[in-house]
Amino acid sequence: MAAIKLFSNNLKIIKGSVPTLSLIIQKNGMSQYPSYYIQPVYKKEVQEELAKTGEAQKLTHMPTRAALNNQTCSHTQDDLVNLFTNYVMKDGLKPLARGLIEQAFENIKRIQLEKYHKCQDPEIKAQIELDPRAIFHKAVENCKPIMNLTPIKRGGVRYQVPVPITPKRSQFMSMKWLIAASKEKDKNVRFHYQLALELIDAANNKGRVVKRKQDLHKQCEANRAYAHYRWS
Amino acid sequence: MIKSGTFKSLLRRHKNVLHFCQLSSAAQPQSDPKSHSFRTDENDPLKHTLDHVGQYYRVPQNECKVYLYGGLPKSYEIQTKTFNETCLMVRKPSVDIINCLKGLDYTKPAVRFVLFGKKGSGKSLTMAHVLHYAQKAGFLLVHVPWLGNWMRNPKELSSSETREGFYDLNLDAAAWLVHFKSQNEHLLSAPELKTTREHVWSKRESTPKDSSLLELIDHGINRLKYASECVLALAEELKQLTKAGNCKTLVAIDGFNAFFYPKTRVFKEKKEVVPPNKITLTEAFLSLTKFDWNNAAIVVTVDEIAIAEEDHKSHFPRYLLGKEGFEHLDPFVPVFVDAYSPKELTSCMDYYRERKWVRYFPQQDEELASLSAYNPYKLMKLCISL
Amino acid sequence: MLSFSRKIDKTAFRALEKHLILAYSTSSEPQREEEFRVLNLKHVKGQTVQRRSVRKAEIQPPRTTQMPVDQDWGNVWPGPRSFHPATVPLPIRQGYTPTGVAPGKYANAELMKIPNFLHLTPPVIKRQCEALKKFCTPWPKALDSDEKCERFFPLEVASSDYCHSSPTIRDPLARIVSVKFKLGVLGLEGRAKDKFLRLVGERYDEQTDIVTIVTDRCPLKKQNYDYAMYLITALYHESLNVEPWEELKSEADMEVYIWENNASKTSIEALFGKEAKEIENVEQYSQAVVRYMNEGENQYTVEQYGDAVRKILNLPPVPR
Repeated sequence: MAAIKLFSNNLKIIKGSVPTLSLIIQKNGMSQYPSYYIQPVYKKEVQEELAKTGEAQKLTHMPTRAALNNQTCSHTQDDLVNLFTNYVMKDGLKPLARGLIEQAFENIKRIQLEKYHKCQDPEIKAQIELDPRAIFHKAVENCKPIMNLTPIKRGGVRYQVPVPITPKRSQFMSMKWLIAASKEKDKNVRFHYQLALELIDAANNKGRVVKRKQDLHKQCEANRAYAHYRWS
Repeated sequence: MIKSGTFKSLLRRHKNVLHFCQLSSAAQPQSDPKSHSFRTDENDPLKHTLDHVGQYYRVPQNECKVYLYGGLPKSYEIQTKTFNETCLMVRKPSVDIINCLKGLDYTKPAVRFVLFGKKGSGKSLTMAHVLHYAQKAGFLLVHVPWLGNWMRNPKELSSSETREGFYDLNLDAAAWLVHFKSQNEHLLSAPELKTTREHVWSKRESTPKDSSLLELIDHGINRLKYASECVLALAEELKQLTKAGNCKTLVAIDGFNAFFYPKTRVFKEKKEVVPPNKITLTEAFLSLTKFDWNNAAIVVTVDEIAIAEEDHKSHFPRYLLGKEGFEHLDPFVPVFVDAYSPKELTSCMDYYRERKWVRYFPQQDEELASLSAYNPYKLMKLCISL
Repeated sequence: MLSFSRKIDKTAFRALEKHLILAYSTSSEPQREEEFRVLNLKHVKGQTVQRRSVRKAEIQPPRTTQMPVDQDWGNVWPGPRSFHPATVPLPIRQGYTPTGVAPGKYANAELMKIPNFLHLTPPVIKRQCEALKKFCTPWPKALDSDEKCERFFPLEVASSDYCHSSPTIRDPLARIVSVKFKLGVLGLEGRAKDKFLRLVGERYDEQTDIVTIVTDRCPLKKQNYDYAMYLITALYHESLNVEPWEELKSEADMEVYIWENNASKTSIEALFGKEAKEIENVEQYSQAVVRYMNEGENQYTVEQYGDAVRKILNLPPVPR
């Protein structure tokens, strides 16, 4: 008992002496790093900002974890795209998933460039989005639902009750739907091609995924009467 | 890689818009102030010199048909469709060969040029540039787009009727004849290109003496059974005609070392491998690459990809050709196709940006240069998702 | 029945009698004992005998402390011997510890493992040379340079004699004879030289051009020497000899590429339609081909070959 007391006392001292440490302390699970190791800052912009505010000086002598192999400062990397790659991935086949996303982007570019070259009106031409990453971001944004239905049992009956969802959940659902829609295709169409089509459609606020979102919203609207089941 | 099937509709639609190409692409270069550095207005390969190295030139639309049936590598062909124009970079090896071809004494035996280099360094596109030059310079083109298609991925195999123990690749031969015909359409109608002897195909079918070469080719295309024989006859005729001075000929074969690589993927009924010297087409093209004729030039590439993957050990000509192949070609002029120079890489990236294929971000060129190690093909692959 | 009861009586009586005697004898004891009896629970045996302490041999201080500065080291360390810290008056350290300095010389196995030459100090060697001098003959005056030595004595014979205390004065290593000579002195050319090299195998050092023959199969040094001489003679004559099967050597058996024998020459002759000698720049071309084939393929040899071909075919050079 005394030993535990001493240990907790020590911990208090450590925490007291380094005030930032207590904020950064994290659960480390199976990690080879002790829990007081901080996450690396690998983005150049973030680093510069830290240097400006003087935060960097504080972090200089903190024990830091090594960056993972997908944590780079390269501009070719995008957090949301990397997240999407992880959602596409099956059985840990990351190179395959990454390849699929890259090919989908290639297809987007080819389809959009074709439209671009076809278009004769310079005004419309200027509006055609050629950046696959921008299209992807827009598509994900357009497919995000605000509400979801959840089954709640009242008096032996399951009611589909509309509930608001968190932004994170909403983003996840959007991406999930995009992937699910791309898998629903003809047998001889490749996944990456279908994904490209879905992304372009969604970015233009059209297509199956946007429809699915709207259907969900409609259903939520229809089930408005059940909303109080959330609390009672 | 994009499968041709999925893009068929896309490509078809492209054909419809080809006439807009001049409009849209002509407007582009002016908008970009840097355009002069990576593009050259000199679209005539006859006038390309070392000053143009690293710059793109546009192959005019009416001259693009030289590449119609597989004249360009598949992945580059897709790029040209997307970019709405066929542009080639002027690079040192092609300028070198063109320079040599200009100064060649055509009364002397044919000179052989061997393009070699690492995978994806641009051997086939160098050859494409040379082909464009040759077409402009009035050469008759004997161009095999990719030998690997015959030796590693044949369409059909049948045993030869005229030669014991030999095998025909008739579908491939006919496809090649179509390619040959489309490349040389403007020349083949010339009256002096006539067969020098009668070619008897069977009891009833024969091509008489003094009939035009087009007839001979058409016979091969229409009667699939005799396509391989027809290629042999055509090779023989071409040699005779060229020697006689009726035409100038440029033989261009991509992946030439496949002719000397014994482990082909051409199989008989019992999965026995047919070596390349037992295929009738081989004979025709080996005879065309000998030096025993004049008025001709020969450009071949040796490529690791044309042989089985387990033997991708070196990119040098002696290893790839083997002893037999080396002795067949010796003395040849080896032309090394290197990876991009920094200037070429910048020019390539500028071109991509001008074509709106990639979006700019700071230090893009440096990053991609180190990721691709200046390898053109790797650079192209890295740019697909940017 | 009667005899049985009488027997019981008898035994009962005897037991009673015994008991009485016992009671009487114990009743007198308290008067004899006066000291206090201790309850001996742990059952300690009688007094423990003092163990005699082991007397350790007295350790002498290291010999080095008593050594005079001007002593004769050759007498202290007369022969080869493994390192002894107390005898060597040097502050030597050897070994590695992750922290701190290297261990000292005492109880240091590392120092004992390595061979030492403490018995071969310069004064000792000098003294031994002095002693041996009277057995040596003077160096011939005419042999004043290395070239002359090599010219007049091309063979270099080396063997070892051993002298040490053991029941036998013979050492098995003494029989080994090694003979060295330069290949150039044999005056072999072309085919004969090639055959000699093939016969000698790895005994020939390409860099120094020296052939080394070591013989150790006979029991005596003399025999081994004779055998080595025999070997050299046999090798020389055999390499000059041409066997009938040697004429069958074909292109595939060639160890090096020879341009004159190859298809390259015939094709270049066919190309120009004249003899190889008459063609311009053929020398450079043939050399380039030979280097290309013999040195192996690399960027340099390919470039050289390309330059030679361009020259012979009269083409413009590669733009650099």
